[in-house]
Parts: sequence; structure tokens; C-alpha cells
Amino acid sequence: MDTSNPAAFVNAEFLKEHVGRRVRAVVQVMQSDGDTVIGKSTDEKQLVVKGYPPNPLSTFVEVIGIADTTQSIQAETWTNFGDTLDVTSYDKVCRLANGDHKHLFI
Amino acid sequence: MYGGNSQFDGNAAFAGGGFMPSQATQTAGDHSFSPAKNRDSQTLLPLSVKQISEAFQSSDDKTNFLIDGVDVNNVKVVGILFNKAERVTEVSFVVDDGTGRIDCSRWVNEAVDAKEMEAVTNGMYVRVHGHLKGLLGKRQLVAYSVRPVDDYNEIASHFAEVIFVHSYNSKLRRQQDSSSMSGQVPSSAANTPLKGYQASPSTQFPGYNMDGIRGVDKMVLDYLQQPSCLAREKGVHRNELAQQLKVPSEKILEAIESLESEGLVYSTIDEYHYKSTANG
Repeated sequence: MDTSNPAAFVNAEFLKEHVGRRVRAVVQVMQSDGDTVIGKSTDEKQLVVKGYPPNPLSTFVEVIGIADTTQSIQAETWTNFGDTLDVTSYDKVCRLANGDHKHLFI
Repeated sequence: MYGGNSQFDGNAAFAGGGFMPSQATQTAGDHSFSPAKNRDSQTLLPLSVKQISEAFQSSDDKTNFLIDGVDVNNVKVVGILFNKAERVTEVSFVVDDGTGRIDCSRWVNEAVDAKEMEAVTNGMYVRVHGHLKGLLGKRQLVAYSVRPVDDYNEIASHFAEVIFVHSYNSKLRRQQDSSSMSGQVPSSAANTPLKGYQASPSTQFPGYNMDGIRGVDKMVLDYLQQPSCLAREKGVHRNELAQQLKVPSEKILEAIESLESEGLVYSTIDEYHYKSTANG
């Protein structure tokens, strides 16, 4: 039982609040080369994910890692989320998880 | 079947006419006839590991946990599985759902259990259903179902449910606190943890309970119970009620009818004058 290292749900907007901390985000892969992935966050903004993505990489991928700047994440874990995903729902959950219901998460 | 207050009927049906505590109820997985656990209270709660870590442990000998005032029995958690370790009859693993990590254990007694556990590997998103247990101060999930997540919309869906159930139970708890007024407490639910999230919440009160009286009825009753009104031998004309309470006459009439049928008011000199039956 260990809650010392949570990963906050973020989109581009909330990433800014968690710089330097562990976060999780779902991005739609726009461009992928070697050790960087340029993706579109669930709130339609650009995010850069550093690290080595799995091969093959699906359209949507969840990354868990440390937010190193307000627009990029240093990924530790990548999970392929498939080629279809309801991005709006995920984004809404992000908002709720960072808003009134933060205490349930971090 | 044996729900509600008939806690010992299960025993009576199966052993000794109810005089002896039944040996049959002591078997490990046999929850349905356990006198302490009513089927109604074994709801499934979707939770985050953080909520589990903060759950209040009631000091019963039952090692019950309470979250938002609700008895925690069956729990659903969705997260990444890792540290999978297989032993002879048991597989232990850890689930990390982004809010924390919890140790889990799955007993593997039959082929179907083993097959289920073989399908999940480290690094995979899984959906775990199990019982929350406190062991030596540590909280652990004794899982009875571990399945891989296929559609990743489930992640958002699970956390949306976690948020919803938390809001729902908290609201229920607030209502319960504010409505525990005088009068008969209708069900045992008021003194034990709430049933919590169910498809149709049961918050019915019997007719005599003051809470069951509608707003207007209560206003009329309160007015009639004032010392000045109680002192008046002839009672209060219903037009006066309408005027003083600023409520239409038809509503006053309805209120009086319902209060009269409850035996709380009675008519005096004619059908327009009423008094409260209370002595004041």
C-alpha cells in the first residue's frame, strides 16, 4: 500500500501545474522520430514526449513520466491505447481530477 | 431472500431450529448466509488506491472499512499490474492506478483461475475486483477477478465512476446527517453505515415521522401549535391560516385534511376552525 508516487492526470492545460512531478497524459501521435514524439493532448494542444516509444506505436498512447517543462514530458512508461479513443471523456476526467475531486487522486 | 432484519432465518432454515449457531455458516466463501452480512450491504465500489489508503477502519471485529460512510466490501480498481509472483495456490501482484499502489492476492484453486492469471502480465492494464482486507495494518485486495483491459476508454470510465460514486455517497451522507430529526427513525440504516450507491436509493420514511410531512402541512401545524393558538378555545379559522402563512386556501385545505387524517389537528366549532391536538 503506497501512495507516495502518484501520477496526476494532465492535459496541456494542467501540465503547467505539475512541472517537475509525475504525470500521466494521453496524446494523439502526430509525429514520431527516434526519441521524441510530438503529440496532440486531449485538449488539442501540442505536447512533446521524450523517451523511446514502443514499436509499433498506436494512434493514441498514454505516457507516464515526469513533466520536465510546461509542454513536455519525460516518459517512463508508454501504453498503446489503440487507434480509437474517446478523447473528450478523458479530457473531462482530467479536469475533474484536477478540480474539486483532486483529493481522490493525489 | 433473507434480506432486511431477518438475520438469523438463514441459520434456522439450515440447522438446529435456530438454537445452535450453524456450523454451515462458517465455511470460507459462504457469504450469502452469514448473519453479519446482508446481501444489500455488499455493493461494489469503484475506488482509487488513494481512497483505499484513506479509508476509515471501524473498530469492529469484522475489520470493516468505511469510505464516505459506506461499508466497503467489494472493490473495483483499474490500473497497471506489476510484480506478478506466482506461488503454488496463490498469485500475488501489485496494481498501480496512478493514485497509488496496492498489494493484491489472487487464490488459484482451479484451472479457470490459473488461466485467468496467465492472461495478465506485468505492465498490462487490468481491472481487478476483490475484497478489501486489512492485514497487519496493511491494506490488501483479495482479488476474485483479474481481467485485462481491452478498450482503453475504460480508464476514463472507471475514474468517472470513482468520482460519481464518491459524490453520490457524500451527498447521501450529508442528507442523512441533516435529516436525522426527532420522531421514529425508520430503518436500521440510520444507525449502521449507509447502503451507499445503489441503483435506487431507499430513503423512505413511514407516515408518522415528522420528515414525511410536507412543507405546507408543517407550516400549518407549526402555526396551530403556537401557544396563542393553543389557548384559543375555538381554534383557528382556516382563512386566517391562509392569510398568515400566505398560502392559497386550497393548499391549506389539503394540509388540514392530511393533518386531520394523521390525528394531528381537529375541527372545533365548525369545519372552518381547527386546533392542534398537542397540549403545548
